[in-house]
Amino acid sequence: MHPIEVRNLVVAYRRWFKPPLRAVDGLSFEVRAGEIVGFLGVNGAGKTSTIKTLMGFQPPTAGEVRLFGMQATDARARRLVGFLPETALYSPYLTPYETLRLYGELHGLRGRQLKAQIEALLEMVNLAHKMHTLNKHLSKGMLQRVGIAQALLGDPQLLILDEVSSGLDPIGKRELRDLLAAQRQRGTTIFFSSHELAEVASICDRILVIHKGKLIAEHRLDELVGRVQSLEDYFIRTVQAERDILGKEVQAA
Amino acid sequence: MTRTWQITRALMVAGLLETVRRKDVYVVLILSALLTLGAAAFRVFGVQGLEIFVKDVAFSAVGIMSTVLTILIAARQIPEELQRRTIYPLMARPITRGQLLLGKWVTATLTAGVAFLLLALANLVLLVSLGITLKPIFVQYLLLKLLGIAWLSALVIALSVYLTPPATITIALILAFGSGAFGRLLLMAHWEHGLDALWLNLLYGILPHYDYFDMSKKVVFDWDLAPWGVLLAMAGYAVLSSTAWLFVGWLRFRKQTL
Repeated sequence: MHPIEVRNLVVAYRRWFKPPLRAVDGLSFEVRAGEIVGFLGVNGAGKTSTIKTLMGFQPPTAGEVRLFGMQATDARARRLVGFLPETALYSPYLTPYETLRLYGELHGLRGRQLKAQIEALLEMVNLAHKMHTLNKHLSKGMLQRVGIAQALLGDPQLLILDEVSSGLDPIGKRELRDLLAAQRQRGTTIFFSSHELAEVASICDRILVIHKGKLIAEHRLDELVGRVQSLEDYFIRTVQAERDILGKEVQAA
Repeated sequence: MTRTWQITRALMVAGLLETVRRKDVYVVLILSALLTLGAAAFRVFGVQGLEIFVKDVAFSAVGIMSTVLTILIAARQIPEELQRRTIYPLMARPITRGQLLLGKWVTATLTAGVAFLLLALANLVLLVSLGITLKPIFVQYLLLKLLGIAWLSALVIALSVYLTPPATITIALILAFGSGAFGRLLLMAHWEHGLDALWLNLLYGILPHYDYFDMSKKVVFDWDLAPWGVLLAMAGYAVLSSTAWLFVGWLRFRKQTL
């Protein structure tokens, strides 16, 4: 039973007077306990649709998605999961402390345990001095830190992060990297999508590359060392090769 | 049940904090007080026997303001979470969509209910200070209106998962203010033309009736207490009807792509 198991996943969006758009097309992969896996792809490759399905925000059109052996649509599956969305404007009328208290209580935490955890997390993301300031007075980077803190509430065993470093300044990115490294030390499994390939190269064990909803490459990063100039170079070549193949198939048809 | 209550309570506290900090309740309070004072100001011009007029203006203001406020509060519960994308961290928790819908309904009902009580009590103080007294039926008016707010919140939340926020607000306003007007039109049709077509009566029965929850005219004209059985029946109608609305909303929301 792995933290994430995806089998033949299809996510299709219905369109008026057009065939359905298959954002994810027969995707299969798994993420093993304790791994850090980077989920890469160009814009529109199907990353966010896959992540939405993992989090139960969207039912799969076909296939199966399991978190710790449970269907992703089952609310109980999310008890062990922390999630950081790409962009979320946390309620402007709440403070970071109240925001975390809301999410903590929804997670099933309460009382002193919750209070201690909120304070520790806000300290960890360097927001302790702003914990009672309304979110509407915080910068984008600070809100992203609130997001990181909420994702870590409840000591999740699996972290799913969508465009993890979006909105963070270089110092924030560095801190995030350290934070993820610390989570790895605790044995947390991390699955994240990112366009920051240097960041992916520095913390990932394995990468999955998708294009047009299909998995086109899967590698352990240590396999690539010495074989490619950089992860960016490898990523561009892989996607370009897939585009060429698809182009030829279209021409042949 | 404990878990559902914990979720509801968490959403309720956050919702109340948000409403208090948005300040729209204060605007409505001030506006309503100004209307009542404006009506009372006719005394300055020597107009006598204004009690009923002032009461009518005061209760109309409370009725309109609280209805609009209820619709606005309920209409933003789920669409705003979607628009701000805060629905993602919310639904990333181990909660079901049904629990979220229920929590949002309770939040809207409680927030709008507290706002209504503040409005009504502020007007009561104002009326008493103007030397106008109210009969005990005022308590029944408060109870029935609170039931109405719960009912209207359920209707608006159900509409909000099917429609865009502007459409939700428009239709909810038409239903809330139009249900009474349609009832009166039907009554006039009966009186004037002896019209009692079955389809008209059926339509009247099917349409949602927010007007059932309004006893303001009875308070204005100092009626005696209504039989408590009537209020109990209205409570039954509110519970059944609200459950039906929430169920209709859940049917769509449970499968909706977030």
